[in-house]
Amino acid sequence: MKHLPKHLRQRWRYLAVALESWPETDLTRRAFQRELWTAARNLVGDTGSAEADLTVYSFAFEDGTGHAVVRVRRDEVSRGRAVLACVDSVDGHPVGVRVTGVSGTVRACEEKYIRGPEIPTEERYVALAGSERRAVVRSERVDARVGDGHLGATDLDCE
Amino acid sequence: MYEGVHAHPDGEATVARHALTAADYGYDGVVVRNHGGRQADYDPEAVTNAHDVDVVAGIELRSDDRSQLSELVKRYREERTLVCVHGGDSEVNRFACEEPRVDVLAHPMRADGDVNHVLARAAKRNGVRLEFDFGPVLRGDGGRRVRALRDLRKLRDIVDHYETPYVVSGNPASHLDLRAPRELVAVGEQAGFDPEWMREGLREWERLAARNRERVSESFIEPGVRVEEDETDG
Repeated sequence: MKHLPKHLRQRWRYLAVALESWPETDLTRRAFQRELWTAARNLVGDTGSAEADLTVYSFAFEDGTGHAVVRVRRDEVSRGRAVLACVDSVDGHPVGVRVTGVSGTVRACEEKYIRGPEIPTEERYVALAGSERRAVVRSERVDARVGDGHLGATDLDCE
Repeated sequence: MYEGVHAHPDGEATVARHALTAADYGYDGVVVRNHGGRQADYDPEAVTNAHDVDVVAGIELRSDDRSQLSELVKRYREERTLVCVHGGDSEVNRFACEEPRVDVLAHPMRADGDVNHVLARAAKRNGVRLEFDFGPVLRGDGGRRVRALRDLRKLRDIVDHYETPYVVSGNPASHLDLRAPRELVAVGEQAGFDPEWMREGLREWERLAARNRERVSESFIEPGVRVEEDETDG
């Protein structure tokens, strides 16, 4: 089909999204996209979902941290932000979601707001909350298992 | 802007992790408001210095019994910068609104709790902030979320009419629950709350903390009266 004339083309904005979860969590683009659509439908309904038209573009997630680029219609950035804020878990794993920036192109979005070099992670024993625990350490962030749950800490908490 | 958080052992992240994430997200401070029996072991000053975000020592008192709550408020008023009461019960809501030593009545609409014009006026008179808890909006769905939104709307109508002071919070129990101020404002906007109104609610925590810190400082006598250093002396 022939391209639309420029003034009739859909206008987009690209949201840089930072993701965080517990270290053993494995997230996929597909699961995140599904969760995003569910969140949109629950928060703004079918009409709102169509208006915002949220689509996950690039996606990367490893060792409990990652990022995504989410496309949203140009005038609906605020709605897109609200929907992203309501994504509280993916496949039952709790996730932290934050919009780090907004751009007019995918490329600018990735270059400007998505950090290049990954921070190395290591697994070791730390003294946390009164006992030795196996934890995943990423820069100053320390994630440990405590009983059935998790504990997020920083190197300030480790004696 | 500040956020009121629940830290380990009342949540899944330590005070330091909350502070680190909050600093990342653009908050100026966090108020640690663990429930009564689950106090965190931390040094507010050390965390403040390490993560460049103000850490306010608070507490959220929880009890069904008025006289016991009264005892608790008396005990912790001196010790903590911010004293909240775990709302959601008509008796408890009423107690908190009528007690000037209470700073914040947390989630007054939770469970079968309710707020009416009498409580709103009492809260204003005693300087008690009513909390707008966006936790169920961020993390709930279906009927639970609808009810939470309905209650928030009702509470806003009352609070706006009587100009009762209020705070806004996402009520996070871990660093993963925490949402940046702009995200919280965007969610509020979708739910029909004015963005500036939301921001005011997030700033109110900060003003409360500053006021209470001034009150315990040595130069403070009573509201409007303070000891000034006399520069012309000697």
